Amino acid sequence: MTTQSSYLDKKGLTMKDLVTIGIFTALFFVFELVGSLPFAPNPALTFYQPFGIALLCGPVFLLMVAKVPKRGTIAILGIINGIVWFALGMHWGMDLGYIIMGIAAEIVAGMKGYKNIKWNIAAYSLFCLGPAGVFVAYFFNPTAWAQTMLEKGTAQEYIDTMTATAPTGMLPLILLGTVIIAVISGLVGKKLLKKQFERAGVTEASL
Amino acid sequence: MIELKQINFSYKVSRAEREGGLGRSGQEKGGLQDVSLTIQDGECILLCGRSGCGKTTITRLVNGLIPRFYAGDLSGKVLINGQDIADLPMYEIAEHIGSVFQNPRTQFFNVDSDSEIAFGLENEACPPEEMKRRIDLTVKDLDIGHLRGRSIHELSGGEKQKIAFASVYTMNPDIYLLDEPSSNLDMDAIRDLKQHLALVKKQGKTILIAEHRLYYLMDIADRIVYMERGRIAGIFTPEQFREFSEAKREEMGLRAASLNTVHPKVVSQLPSDSLLELKSVSLRYQKRSVLDGINLKVGAGAVIGIIGHNGAGKTTLSRALCGLHKKSEGQFIWNGQPQSYKDRLKRSYMVMQDVNYELFAESVRAECAFGIRGATLGLVDSTMEKLGLTPYQDEHPNTLSGGQKQRVAVAVSMICGKELLVFDEPTSGLDFDSMAQVAELIRELSAAGKIIFIVTHDYEFICRTCSRVLHVDHGEVCDDFPVSGVTENRIMKLFSMQQFAKGD
Amino acid sequence: MSKEQSERRALGVLRMSDDWNYSMNGETVCNGLWIDPRTKIVILLLCVLSATMAPSMRYEMLLVLLIACFGIACRKVRYSIIGALVYAAVYFVTIAALKTHGSVQVMLVAFLGLVHKVYPCGILSGIIISTTKVGEFLSAMNRSHASRKIVIPVAVMLRYIPTVREDWRFIKDAMKMRDISPSLKSFLMHPGMTIECIYVPLMMAASKTADELTVASVTRGIENPKTRTSIVQIGFGIWDAVVTVCFLALFLVGQFCKGVF
Repeated sequence: MTTQSSYLDKKGLTMKDLVTIGIFTALFFVFELVGSLPFAPNPALTFYQPFGIALLCGPVFLLMVAKVPKRGTIAILGIINGIVWFALGMHWGMDLGYIIMGIAAEIVAGMKGYKNIKWNIAAYSLFCLGPAGVFVAYFFNPTAWAQTMLEKGTAQEYIDTMTATAPTGMLPLILLGTVIIAVISGLVGKKLLKKQFERAGVTEASL
Repeated sequence: MIELKQINFSYKVSRAEREGGLGRSGQEKGGLQDVSLTIQDGECILLCGRSGCGKTTITRLVNGLIPRFYAGDLSGKVLINGQDIADLPMYEIAEHIGSVFQNPRTQFFNVDSDSEIAFGLENEACPPEEMKRRIDLTVKDLDIGHLRGRSIHELSGGEKQKIAFASVYTMNPDIYLLDEPSSNLDMDAIRDLKQHLALVKKQGKTILIAEHRLYYLMDIADRIVYMERGRIAGIFTPEQFREFSEAKREEMGLRAASLNTVHPKVVSQLPSDSLLELKSVSLRYQKRSVLDGINLKVGAGAVIGIIGHNGAGKTTLSRALCGLHKKSEGQFIWNGQPQSYKDRLKRSYMVMQDVNYELFAESVRAECAFGIRGATLGLVDSTMEKLGLTPYQDEHPNTLSGGQKQRVAVAVSMICGKELLVFDEPTSGLDFDSMAQVAELIRELSAAGKIIFIVTHDYEFICRTCSRVLHVDHGEVCDDFPVSGVTENRIMKLFSMQQFAKGD
Repeated sequence: MSKEQSERRALGVLRMSDDWNYSMNGETVCNGLWIDPRTKIVILLLCVLSATMAPSMRYEMLLVLLIACFGIACRKVRYSIIGALVYAAVYFVTIAALKTHGSVQVMLVAFLGLVHKVYPCGILSGIIISTTKVGEFLSAMNRSHASRKIVIPVAVMLRYIPTVREDWRFIKDAMKMRDISPSLKSFLMHPGMTIECIYVPLMMAASKTADELTVASVTRGIENPKTRTSIVQIGFGIWDAVVTVCFLALFLVGQFCKGVF
């Protein structure tokens, strides 16, 4: 008897892996849209959009990594997210953020061979910082951000109030909040994986 | 020529399944033992047998998916024209062997029908002029001009299956492999599939088809290979096959070889006092009227088949019965009381065609109590016992077979105390045994006084279960009559079975 | 009239002749101006740059007008006109917002700043996505030697997103029949249960589809190493140049003739 499953154990990404990544990226994207919906169109909440994304996508991310525990999975997810949001006309800070944080998350998860769920959750929380790229761009230079809109008269007034009420604590708050929410979402995903998907034979047990 | 030489194969069992013990792995599903078979060029072979007998495994061996995609222990050789398939890469096999699968929803790589038909040729790097010519030829041969340039999301299951077949046909393979292609098709679509198969057979192609529904293949198949527990248990000609008695065929676990031998079995009951009444109900979908003026009186224990073409409004009607479709006029009356959609929602349950959508929990036992107020332990236990689910109570529902999943859904409906059940295509993909079991289950539910609606294309199943048939078409319920020996001809006519009658 | 025809007539769906096509989001589109997908990517890039470095709102208005003209040329007339009108509304809202004071102003300016940067790109991408077929996109990517590791997942993703919506409809029905409403309220009352209802069937269906779709594409030779051909012919023409020059000119004007605005 010979066990011929060389194709399945192949190191690089196989066609099956690529299709799986595509399908889970679609699911990921849908959850991102749903999570952004309550935040994005609201002036008071728009800067907290990464929260919504981080909250919903954890289980999808973890199941995808569990199904394709190979080098490239997370980076591809990040790159496709960057491309798609770019194609949808989103701010370049978000697109670039996705790609950079996708690669960062890839490295973190890769350190334990994509099989350690705690490291995968850490990778997920890094990944979720990607969409905050827009806001990093904003806080980097809020005046330039508003430049287009400012007529000569209002400019000075805006800059004055801006420096007076500057929400300096906001950027760390957004980043930290995103990480905390991502970890919670990741823990929910971990529970779902253990309780449902491993028992159902969809994935092999992870550590 | 296809040669299978002394094949032994068993699927690799994942850890979860090993630990699960029973369920899918308990039946050693789909493995093969010492299978040898030679198929000549131009031959049409029908593989049949119970679920898990190994017929799908044979198709997977021939198109190379085993061992490349389905891992397991394999010995023996598969030769195509003398060449060992293990030596060829998948894309080379793809040029010679075209495969059509069971579920048309998951076979599409593109979102429009033209690109899907061209998909195989594009992969082969066929020059654009040649590609255009072959696609035009395919469209003409298969008569699918009306399906060109359409979004796959608006095609019916039958139309999708035609596109899937066309996509293989354009590649002009020598061998066609079909794995339960009729599972999700209505009678008309099956008739078209039969014509397409006859066409490729005439072109001298080899056809290998694994199927539960046998009747439509009797004129096409040259040999019928009957499989049992991973072995070839007999090879018959269609003539021999037709002569099997009904009892023998059912013992083998096979569906009818000819629908003309199938007759209604249920003696239709006299209509008892009406429990459910629909008074001039009209259903709309996005401002468009779907069904108009439905008047219906149904007594307790009635089993009603809903038949009609795709897009005729069967789904809308069944969703409205369950209170899932809100836009309606007229009255639903239950036991003399008018019902709002919320009342209907409380009272009814739908067993969906793809049951997976309604299974949420991590074990059968948990599923039976999931989200149900007043699900006591005793009730859960007794219901599982009644439906024969007790041996699987700790299994994950996803590891069960299609028929078992349906049972779990029915168990849920019983524990919820639902009085009206709608089954949507309950027999798609089921073998004879499972079909008979579902029929038995429905009879029991009917005896317990539940009202049951069955949306189905399955003539055999209607004959086994239904006491009454509703025919939905042209925006109305255009026929409503009891199922009995007297009305047999009317039912056959509705199923447009004349086409099949000729050959028999 | 054949049965198929009458059925479709009954469905009230208009059918199209050969010059109608399906776009990536499944909408019907009539071929107006046709340019190569790669050109579309270039103009989208130029649009992002123009919007990010726009010197004033009047300039942005001009950008939106150019995009609307492009949209009209692609026969997306209604969409383009509405898009331009909505932008005009945003323009006046912004002027009003600048009259406010204090932290409200900071908040509004930050938000509107994002709107102004994103809006032109969003409307242009709407036009692009609804006029590009998946096959077209794939061939263009193939032509430019983009990695399969990106192209294949993107194609699968575009195909699967509408399926997620279909799946969700079934799941919603199933939840309602169990007396679990798919709402925020039930989420707060029974978080664990609602999470399972949403994620379990969706992700089970996703992994099943992944397997079956792989098998269906591999048996049709997707792994073939030859350079893929395409049923949709792509290539550059005079219009690609015209459109690119228009967008490039507007970008350069914005950067080097700031005084004009």
